[in-house]
Amino acid sequence: MIAPARNASRLTLVAMLVAGPVAAAQDAALLKDMTAVIMLLGLPCDQVVSARQQADHSHLAACRNGMRYRVFVNAEGRVVAQRQ
Amino acid sequence: MGAPPLVVAPSEPMAVDPALLRAVPQRLPAVESPAAAMPETPPLVATQPTAPHNPERITAAAKPAPKPAVLLVVVARPLEAPLDVAALKIRLRDTHAIGVFTKLALRNQMDDLLKQFRSHYQGEQKTSVATLRQPYDRLILKVLALVQDGDPSLAHTIAGSREELWNILADPEQFKSII
Repeated sequence: MIAPARNASRLTLVAMLVAGPVAAAQDAALLKDMTAVIMLLGLPCDQVVSARQQADHSHLAACRNGMRYRVFVNAEGRVVAQRQ
Repeated sequence: MGAPPLVVAPSEPMAVDPALLRAVPQRLPAVESPAAAMPETPPLVATQPTAPHNPERITAAAKPAPKPAVLLVVVARPLEAPLDVAALKIRLRDTHAIGVFTKLALRNQMDDLLKQFRSHYQGEQKTSVATLRQPYDRLILKVLALVQDGDPSLAHTIAGSREELWNILADPEQFKSII
């Protein structure tokens, strides 16, 4: 009875080890994307340090300089960054 | 530098040194680029100027002195394929150098620029198409700055196609073909 539990915990540990770097890479790509978009829109943001997807599929991006933006695609298909 | 040597039309047929003619074709590679095509000029010929400078002989000449042919050294370039705008669009769409939101934002800005061109050709703008050059250059620079690190090949293609893209946009007929 103990063996299956150990196996499960080992499998969980391995999954976390593998998923960790992949998730980090995706996060880095998202941060880079958010930074590029905000700068492309001409808004002040030196670098996005965190980005969180909201329930409405928009992203909340926090910049190193303290600015926060909600980035989303509006009904006309335009990318918009609203300062929060 | 001194004045160029005076070339005087000889009264008798010219004697051309065959060695010069033989050497010329080897030094001149084939010119393939239409941009480098030049009108045919006579081969460079050696002339033996007369010892004294005789203005009377010059003025008496019925024909003007033949212009010395200019020997052009043309660097052969491979034929450049015409710009494939559709293929470039696909490359930009599929590149991993920029994320989804950035691609969408770039597309928005490209659409805005194309809209300005369209309104210009429809006569809604009084200014010339040259006024759109600056916004065009700015957009190209933005794209290059975004892709140059992650996709240098694409950045190189875009940089090299910059003038050709502008020529397409600035020509009403070609503009219609890409829209």
